[in-house]
Amino acid sequence: MIGLLEIRRRKFQFALIALIVTLISYLVLMINGLGVGLNDQAGSALRNFDADAIAYSDKAGLSVIRSELSQEQVDRITVETDAKASAPLGYMAANYLKDNGGVESAAFLAFDPGTIAEPKVVDGRMLTEEDADGLLVDKSFLRYSGLDVGDTVTISVRLVERDFRIVGETDEGAFFFQPSVYLLRSTWQELKYGNVDASTPVASIVLLEGKGLAGASGPGWQAVSKSTAFANIEGVSGQQSTVQALRAFGYLIGGLVIGVFFYVLTLQKIGQIGMMKAVGASSFFVFRQVMVQVLCISVAGVAVAIPLTWLTNRAIQQAPNPVPIAFTNGTFITTSVLLVLMAMVGAMFSGRQVAKVDPIIALGQQQ
Amino acid sequence: MSVTLKVRDLSKTYGHGEQAVRAVRNASFSTEPGEFVAVVGPSGSGKTTLLAMVGGLLTPTSGTIEVNGRDIAGLNAGQQAAYRRESVGYVFQANNLLPFLTARENLQMISRITGANGRAARQRADQLLEELGLTNRANAVATELSGGERQRVAIGRALMNDPELVLVDEPTASLDSARGRQVVESLIQEVKSRGKLGLMVTHDMAMAELADRIIEMHDGELNVRGKLAASG
Repeated sequence: MIGLLEIRRRKFQFALIALIVTLISYLVLMINGLGVGLNDQAGSALRNFDADAIAYSDKAGLSVIRSELSQEQVDRITVETDAKASAPLGYMAANYLKDNGGVESAAFLAFDPGTIAEPKVVDGRMLTEEDADGLLVDKSFLRYSGLDVGDTVTISVRLVERDFRIVGETDEGAFFFQPSVYLLRSTWQELKYGNVDASTPVASIVLLEGKGLAGASGPGWQAVSKSTAFANIEGVSGQQSTVQALRAFGYLIGGLVIGVFFYVLTLQKIGQIGMMKAVGASSFFVFRQVMVQVLCISVAGVAVAIPLTWLTNRAIQQAPNPVPIAFTNGTFITTSVLLVLMAMVGAMFSGRQVAKVDPIIALGQQQ
Repeated sequence: MSVTLKVRDLSKTYGHGEQAVRAVRNASFSTEPGEFVAVVGPSGSGKTTLLAMVGGLLTPTSGTIEVNGRDIAGLNAGQQAAYRRESVGYVFQANNLLPFLTARENLQMISRITGANGRAARQRADQLLEELGLTNRANAVATELSGGERQRVAIGRALMNDPELVLVDEPTASLDSARGRQVVESLIQEVKSRGKLGLMVTHDMAMAELADRIIEMHDGELNVRGKLAASG
């Protein structure tokens, strides 16, 4: 393949182009990672719920913050949906006080042990009904606060301060851009509403397990899928649009830059292309050489960008206050494939130029 | 294989109306099998246009070009490319080697284009390089070759696909006269020993004298004559 031989013999020139591809790929991968990280912070805890659908108060506009359900509504949701399993879950935002007197906020999620709302404990133990002053906290909470399982933390809500003991660590992620903290639903009721009586809301939402539950509704409640619930988290849709736009521009600019590089390279080689066509090469043969070069250079560029991004991610994660960034294998694969495809599409401009080259130029000026 | 070329009433006009330029006017000539013909004339006389039409790089405005009885004047672009690929070997003025390929790879490029690259192509490339005295330069990249070596590689490349016609455009333009003569002599020897037909455009009468016949062109018209007596 002549295109490959050219890469081999003009290493420096092609290495420079590959470097540009690497930098663009790195940028797009980082944007994607930041997008995934922001999404995780927005509500990875919601996505990790062991549920297929989530029921809200129909007056809440699919907002977990505004949704409040009575015991009667919770019971009716369970009966009317005929869900395989269901569990009420309470939410409130509250602060915890740090040793240095600082205040940090966290998302408090209230559950009943033994239900599908129960988070998975990765260290320590699960809450029991007796743990009225016990907490399960996300690993990010421990990292930010410097606390550990077994430590005591002061929670401040509604001008009330109360000490809790951290009994276990979870890895369920964040909610509303804050680390998730789990407590018993009975404790949550006391903290959020003060004196509890029959009229006090018992949950913010109800997690439902079973097929075909999204879209179900009844008097005072409505159920939606987890993805709809996620998209309706305050600020998420705007954030998603911004991240999607950044991604799209990344792919577009990446494809254009690579396309322009190869277009200029093609313009520089018009004499050679003319000669090749004069000796009988078809435009397709010449274009194939260009496309093979684009494929190799873009794959090489992306291949360098992936470990670079991975190392950057590791460095960021080790920072005391890491920016929200997260990568999955899917992020790497999808981004890499799309970048290579965009580079190929960008290089199509060169194809038009190749087709336009008249082989007569190999003979120089006509006489 | 003996190759014949018959050109009849061949014309090429560029542009239209008052802007029209008749580069070649009613040119007619034919060649004998195994002949090497030089086309001479001043700049702008139409000799390169004639070469381009015979080589399938330009479509004539009128007239016929028969190569072994096949009229190539009416071929479309795709057919012209196939004709060039299968029947024509070109030696260009500036040799036009691919600068990043070695001498051998420049010859093998022709086989890559025809889709016949492989052991046989490599052997043929090596054989041609040997005949042209370039065996020890086979692995040298084109930019490392001297002007004369590059032009000899270009001759090898023109012969690589075993063409019927070898068309040569000012082969000595970038060479001194001694080296130029050496290149043309070796070109004529290679063409004639293989029974090909050679057509060489040159402005250098000393080189033209080495050919079997000379065609003079002036303002698009040609005058065919035999070998110059002075060429001895």
